[in-house]
Amino acid sequence: MAAPAAIALGLMAGTLPADRELALQILTELRGPRVAAAFACGGLLALAGALMQTLFRNPLAEPYLLGVSGGAGLLALLGMAAGLAWPWISLLAFAGSLLALALAAALGGRLLARDHTPLLLAGVMLAAGFGALIALVLSVTPAERLPGMLFFLMGDLAWTSQPALLWAALLLAVAAALALSRRLDVLQLAPLKAASLGVAVAPTRWMLFALAGACTSLVVAQAGSIGFVGLMVPHALRKLGFAGHRALLPACALAGGSLLVLADALARTVIEPRELPVGVLTAMLGVPMMLWLLRKP
Amino acid sequence: MSLVAHQLALQTSTRTLVDSLDLALEPGEVLGILGANGAGKSTLLNVLAGLAIPASGRVTLDGHALATMPPLTRAQHIGLLPQGDEGGFFGSVADFVALGHFPFGGPAPDLAPHLASWELTDLARRPLDTLSGGERQRARLAQLAVQAPRIALLDEPLTHLDPAHQAKLLAWARGEADARHSVVLTLHDPNWAACHCDRLLFLYGDGRWQLDTPAELLTPDALEALYGPGTAALWQQGGRGEPV
Repeated sequence: MAAPAAIALGLMAGTLPADRELALQILTELRGPRVAAAFACGGLLALAGALMQTLFRNPLAEPYLLGVSGGAGLLALLGMAAGLAWPWISLLAFAGSLLALALAAALGGRLLARDHTPLLLAGVMLAAGFGALIALVLSVTPAERLPGMLFFLMGDLAWTSQPALLWAALLLAVAAALALSRRLDVLQLAPLKAASLGVAVAPTRWMLFALAGACTSLVVAQAGSIGFVGLMVPHALRKLGFAGHRALLPACALAGGSLLVLADALARTVIEPRELPVGVLTAMLGVPMMLWLLRKP
Repeated sequence: MSLVAHQLALQTSTRTLVDSLDLALEPGEVLGILGANGAGKSTLLNVLAGLAIPASGRVTLDGHALATMPPLTRAQHIGLLPQGDEGGFFGSVADFVALGHFPFGGPAPDLAPHLASWELTDLARRPLDTLSGGERQRARLAQLAVQAPRIALLDEPLTHLDPAHQAKLLAWARGEADARHSVVLTLHDPNWAACHCDRLLFLYGDGRWQLDTPAELLTPDALEALYGPGTAALWQQGGRGEPV
């Protein structure tokens, strides 16, 4: 219910010229695709967050836990420092996130049937390492190139050019996650217990890893590292009583999409005609909501 | 014929825990496994559940090798109550108990009798992680009861349970045995073992083992051999194979 309202609000937010034709053109060619991309990105991030929380059996897990944003950020920034243009930056970001995932899997994935801690540690270490390298790149970059880099690191939907691709990915990912949903309910139990109930723990966990990783990589390559949606939305929905994955996962897609559309509408309009990185807004909207939810017993 | 272990050997990286174990689990029996910490009790349960690979030997269910059985098929016959936490489960007690039905697919069965029998009816809608240790243990047992395996393997099921619920567990185990199911449990209480188990398996942790009735196995000397000097006091008040 909230999703159509959010989309409508996202479309209306911001000034339109008096000329009807020009206004219509802005709505269909600029604002429409951007709202569509925002919804798909938010949905993908929230879905990936829910999957990561189940993979690591931890409500603090989030899409960037394994260094995806760091790997993507590092390669994207190197591309920007070398003066490359957008489609190349996007491809570099995608390659960087896959690199981070591959490294995490290679370094920490050996015992995934019984213990997810090595994978978690490898991912957190990689994220720290990428973070340091990103700081290094930022500190040696000429000042005029810095704003673009910072917008990428905080997440920004102005670059997004492929709403259709993002929507296709969102629909596919929700379908794949739903097909796994009963197994994911069981996977919340201790690995040994889940195995005793007939779930093949390691293969299912790898599927989760791949699905969450693909969703996150795609978003990062399109819009940079938009934070907080992937942590907050699944956590908040679980707090609100969405426990089973069959209900939780589609709810994450809808709520994550709606939240990001709203955040992006604000990012575009708060200091019009300039824009804020949407990642700033997701956190500014999300943190108070989350703190309010945590107060509930 | 049901669950049979042939010439099982269990090893850690440095030593042999159990050597050449032959064990045929009879339908309708309650088997207790006793041994010191680290003697291989949990490892043996995991191997019998088909979830760990023994150093050598094999386990069969009705003549079929457990190692090659599809996981869901195996889970329709063998249930395991492992030790340890359920952290990471975000749902209610009822959601948790219903997961026992997973191996069978389809809509969830009526949970009410299982919740009632483990005194969880009033807790059914509470988030699992708000329960006390003993209440959570009852939820785990109710989940196993929903799975209703004909081979139930329980690792220290008495943990966290008050005496009344220990008695309830005893009644459940005996009820399972009366229904021609087999129950295997690890425990540390020789009195409980003497009263409620049909056979006992002693694991000495160095490869040796003994399998017999409580009347044959349980003596103060045997306990000292199993647990170490000074432990016969655990048994002093009881006679040979008699409950305290």
